[in-house]
Amino acid sequence: MRMRMRSSSFVQIACLVLSVAGPFVASSRGAESDEIVPPANGRFADPATQETPDFQRHVVPLMGRVGCNGRSCHGSFQGQSGFRLSLFGYDFGLDHKGLQQRIDSKSPLKSLALLKPSHAVDHEGGQPLPPGTWEHTLFRRWIESGAPPRPAGAAGFLKLEVLPASIRMSREGEQVPLQVIAHWDDGTKEDVTCLSRFQANDPAIAAVSEEGVVMAGDPGDTHVIAFYDNGVAATPVLRPYSDLADDRYPQLVARTRIDELVQDKLRLLGEVPSEVCTDEEFLRRVSLDIAGTLPRPQEVREFVADARPDKRSRKIDELLETPAYAAKWTTFLCDITGNSDAQLNNATAERARASREWYDWIFQRVQANVPYDALMEGVILAVSRQPGETYLDYCERQAAMAGSEPASKYADEPGLTYFWGRGNFQRPEDRAIGFAYTFMGIRLQCAQCHKHPFDEWTQQDFKQFQAFFDRVRFNRLSPVAAAGRGPADVADRREMLAELGLAERLMGNDRRVLADAARDGKLVPASELAVLPPAAANPRRPANRGNPRRPQNRVARLLRDAEPIQLDAFDDPRQPIMDWLRDPETRLFSRAIVNRIWAQYFHRGIVEPTDDLSLANPGSNEPLLDDLARRFIENGYDLKWLHREIAGSDAYQRSWRPNETNRLDDQNFARAVPRRLPAEVLLDAIRTATAGSDERAGLHENLRGRMTTYPGTPQGRQPVAYGLTVFGRSIRSKNCDCDRSPDPSLLQTLYLRNDVDVFAQIDRRDGWLDEVAGTLRPRARQAQAERDRASGPRPQAPPAVRLARLQQALQTARRQGREEQAAQLQQRIRKVREEIANPPPPRPRNADEPFAGAAPRRPDLPPIRIETETARNIIDEAYLRTLGRLPDDEERAAAVEALSGTDGLAGVRDLLWALLNTKEFIVNH
Amino acid sequence: MSMPFRVHGTPRRNILQAGALAISGLSLGNYLRLAAAGEVRPQATARAAIFINLRGGPSHLDTFDPKPDAADVRGEFEAIPTALPGVHFSEHLPKLARCADQFALLRGVTHSLAAHELGTAYVNTGNRPLPSLEFPGYGAVAAKELTAPRDLPPFVAIPNTAQRAGYLGIRYAPLSTTQAPIVGRPFQVRGVSLQEGVAVSDVERRTQLLSKLDRTFQELEGGNSLIDGLDEFSRQALSVITSPRTQRAFDISREPQAFAAPFGKTPFGGSCLLALRLVEAGVPFVTVTHDGWDTHNDNFEALRTRLLPPFDEGLSALLGGLAARGLLETTAVFVTGEFGRTPRINSQRSGRDHFPRCMFMLLAGGGVRPGQVLGESDATASGPLHEGYSPDDVAATFFHLLGIDHRQEYQTNTGRPVMIVRDGEVIRPLLA
Repeated sequence: MRMRMRSSSFVQIACLVLSVAGPFVASSRGAESDEIVPPANGRFADPATQETPDFQRHVVPLMGRVGCNGRSCHGSFQGQSGFRLSLFGYDFGLDHKGLQQRIDSKSPLKSLALLKPSHAVDHEGGQPLPPGTWEHTLFRRWIESGAPPRPAGAAGFLKLEVLPASIRMSREGEQVPLQVIAHWDDGTKEDVTCLSRFQANDPAIAAVSEEGVVMAGDPGDTHVIAFYDNGVAATPVLRPYSDLADDRYPQLVARTRIDELVQDKLRLLGEVPSEVCTDEEFLRRVSLDIAGTLPRPQEVREFVADARPDKRSRKIDELLETPAYAAKWTTFLCDITGNSDAQLNNATAERARASREWYDWIFQRVQANVPYDALMEGVILAVSRQPGETYLDYCERQAAMAGSEPASKYADEPGLTYFWGRGNFQRPEDRAIGFAYTFMGIRLQCAQCHKHPFDEWTQQDFKQFQAFFDRVRFNRLSPVAAAGRGPADVADRREMLAELGLAERLMGNDRRVLADAARDGKLVPASELAVLPPAAANPRRPANRGNPRRPQNRVARLLRDAEPIQLDAFDDPRQPIMDWLRDPETRLFSRAIVNRIWAQYFHRGIVEPTDDLSLANPGSNEPLLDDLARRFIENGYDLKWLHREIAGSDAYQRSWRPNETNRLDDQNFARAVPRRLPAEVLLDAIRTATAGSDERAGLHENLRGRMTTYPGTPQGRQPVAYGLTVFGRSIRSKNCDCDRSPDPSLLQTLYLRNDVDVFAQIDRRDGWLDEVAGTLRPRARQAQAERDRASGPRPQAPPAVRLARLQQALQTARRQGREEQAAQLQQRIRKVREEIANPPPPRPRNADEPFAGAAPRRPDLPPIRIETETARNIIDEAYLRTLGRLPDDEERAAAVEALSGTDGLAGVRDLLWALLNTKEFIVNH
Repeated sequence: MSMPFRVHGTPRRNILQAGALAISGLSLGNYLRLAAAGEVRPQATARAAIFINLRGGPSHLDTFDPKPDAADVRGEFEAIPTALPGVHFSEHLPKLARCADQFALLRGVTHSLAAHELGTAYVNTGNRPLPSLEFPGYGAVAAKELTAPRDLPPFVAIPNTAQRAGYLGIRYAPLSTTQAPIVGRPFQVRGVSLQEGVAVSDVERRTQLLSKLDRTFQELEGGNSLIDGLDEFSRQALSVITSPRTQRAFDISREPQAFAAPFGKTPFGGSCLLALRLVEAGVPFVTVTHDGWDTHNDNFEALRTRLLPPFDEGLSALLGGLAARGLLETTAVFVTGEFGRTPRINSQRSGRDHFPRCMFMLLAGGGVRPGQVLGESDATASGPLHEGYSPDDVAATFFHLLGIDHRQEYQTNTGRPVMIVRDGEVIRPLLA
């Protein structure tokens, strides 16, 4: 049996050698042929084969496949037993050199490189190449042939193709073999299935063997990834959840383009979407997602009663015009751009000024709905000085932005210079990583040290990309003299410091002196961001240390872009990157932001994690992401368009209640999946839910004290830091969307159940509980009001409240024909509208502000019983202000019981506490 | 049925079910299972640890590594003999000098990160900080690896700490008391202590109401890790808040006067006492932060009056107290700043500046061989005399005491495999 197999394959191979010889020996470049070289496991099955394998095409992939260059073996940076290979391959020089030292050229068969893996000599890593296998033969043939390296000018790898292009399974245990074909730029193709590595992204749904055979598991969809050379190819594998797939799929209306594309996928999976959610659910969900705000009780009633068919899209439009929208999404953009106090030490003389100005700069643009590409251009191409400006002039301009009455503001500057001033964004390699994270949503860091294991980036790509950044300088509290006026700038700074009694070199306490001076609006040296002229470029860490020659005519290359760029031709080397990002062909720029914003409206992105848009991590619905990204560009990078498009879809408006077909799937948007509220939104929600009715009314418009206006990263000792940290506000320091945490934790629950902050909110003066107490005890309320009057004028109501009042007055005036008064009212309405459109820039709240002023306990007052009718009203109100809905009968009965004790007010307090502690309150659903 | 296949890849099912919640290998579901199962560590010599961080960088010369004969660097303080023959400390550490046989001292520990943030991150994680990865603090690793009683938080920071959960995820973050207790005064911890005037019966009444109202997501129970996690933490929070043992542990005013007094009426002394009570109750990891050691100005004045007396008093009382309660053998104590300070005294400001090339670290209890000095600095305390120990080595040893293999690999939240301590070796002579 065995003999026969051998002999038959011998014949096969003899024929093959003829056809194989062509491509490797002499081939004319570019001539695409239809011929596919058959797999190496066949060609090298016969130990007598005379074929010489190719170092790049066969030897290195084989070593990758049997694990030689893995990180626990010779791929470790320390090597293993004195032998090191490049991790995951692709450093052909290093790999060849390492092997060469283990090859005995006189008697190749005695080479350590062969004896070790075939276990003729003891090998810690086992026996990856047992003699007699095709793998052993291939390796031996390479050594026997003189172990040729990758020839200079060898054909480049073009792409990897996997067949079948997609797999559909119908039952568990079903198996489908994959075929992997490598395409080279000389037109040759080879079946490299036996030289590829495979990975299942979700083995519970589809596992894959080392030989590339896919086996079906549970219903669902996932990808199987093949790796060969620099190629990464993903094959979708899908097994329907029900027998409703394809032709048997029910006729459903797809109301929007998003819904069509979501449904296309659900149809393949036999998955029926959940119902559209109720009006109450929608209103709470969309208010939290767009504006980070709970709906007002009255708003809930009105919205439910509203009979207009387009009321949901009207609500979306309305929310997008609120300052709360701008605040929430500024926080989001501060996350991905990395606005962090810890990284901005001494970026400004005044503490925390940089993070606040950073926030304000973005806020102004989000509010004005500046297109996303233009907004990010301001970040990417930022420089500090205006053309021709001296350092002194520049510092004076900066000083004018400080103090209690600044003459100008940083938000009006064209560029967000601080982005380039972060401590973790100074070295060119850190910039390459951070830049790729923020604007492209990819994790380039792997490629800094080795070939990216899940993408096509190599170390070479990384180096060429980082070259874009080494002429960009951010000097803290100093000029970039080499880009400006040189010694004159330095002299400017010296004089400024001398004026303050300081020496040029700042020491410990000097910072404090500078900070005080800056706060008083005095002239202090400002930090400067500038681009060095090409000639002055002197990278801080030259690649060729010890080589005295400066690198001239530095060449950079954009990722996945073949054209090298001569950086010296650009005054600002960041310009070609900006142009490249803007090119619709680049896709990453729009896909990254569209996917990230999508993830804010759902429990995940279309690609998840949202900062890992790698080839090995395809989205759950690529056509959907492509389509949205393309239309986002067509709509001029209009962020509000994107918000409307997403929030307006049925996919977004699904109920969280699963049905039998979609219960097991949470990646195709067939139902809403509950998400914990983000730190800032949750803390604001607690505050909103416990607020008195006046404060409550204006919370879409009034940003005062809101956590979504907190600019930087909370520092240890600030009171606000605790809640924000416990609930996982982004630390904004590691170039990862996981810097923000959506996880629950014991500490969070302890906080909600029992923290002083939460009780202080519930019990605060003029809070809702205090107000209820006042209604129940009118006399006590009156006395309180008198005390308030005595203590000064009431603060003005928030603009939205004033607007509503004025509009009502206007209607009355018109009805009664009082034209003159109506005209006056109209004018006042215009003013309030302006105020709403251009609110004063948000300020970080005073650290002690929201928790001060807890309502005094009144043990002197006797407990009070609450009538059932009153209790019902209080309960409804409590439900509306926390959960945005009315209680059902069972809940109402439990609540009435809680309020029916001798101390009814204590019951109301218990009820409010309990509602804040429901899962329904802390998740968006 | 045996699988005919060798399979690659991380099982992602749990992760997918958890949605954005989970990170590879550490999904919430796994966490809940692990937490329920508990873990036994027979090889551990310590079952708890107290990490004391002297923030700002304490001068090694003016504390545990005096050089009285080096005129240029010796500074203003005298050296005094200790319980160990031939070993001298600063004259302002008399109590610790007397109990020098209770701990092990490392001299000439060395690294190269001279900025507070970086140095602090280094000594709180045992890994040189990387721009692309946040390493978990010792306490977060301990919270993940060690078993804590259900009614106690596994990782408490007094009053706060530089140790974060890092890539392990927020559920291993410390409970920060945010304030330091003072011996003899009642103490409340946010989230844990019951507010004044609130009884356990009030908590139970409210919780009962909550359980009646919190029914909305019943349909998702068992199938959604966020909902299940919230339910699990809810049960645990209730047991923390209503546990008499927990309430007692945090209230240091219950400690008998005779036992408490030696700690001193300072925030540091109170913190040490609280740390002891928490460990006694069963908390596996406690950090104490003692701030203010960044003595660029008036180094000697600050050390003599403000820093050393409470430190000397508090730490010696802690070691003595642990020993008296029979806890020292099973509690590893680790004291360190982020770096030492320059041997040369800055003459205008009479201060010393940052100096990572030479520093001290102190370990005690939990399987540390006490009464020894390991390592040595050169004549002017400007660097280790021979090859010095690195913070990584000390970290590896610290984990070793707790029965945690520092070479164990975790997957970060970006799927990257990383050892708990990447470059350390256990310092064998430190072990008993």
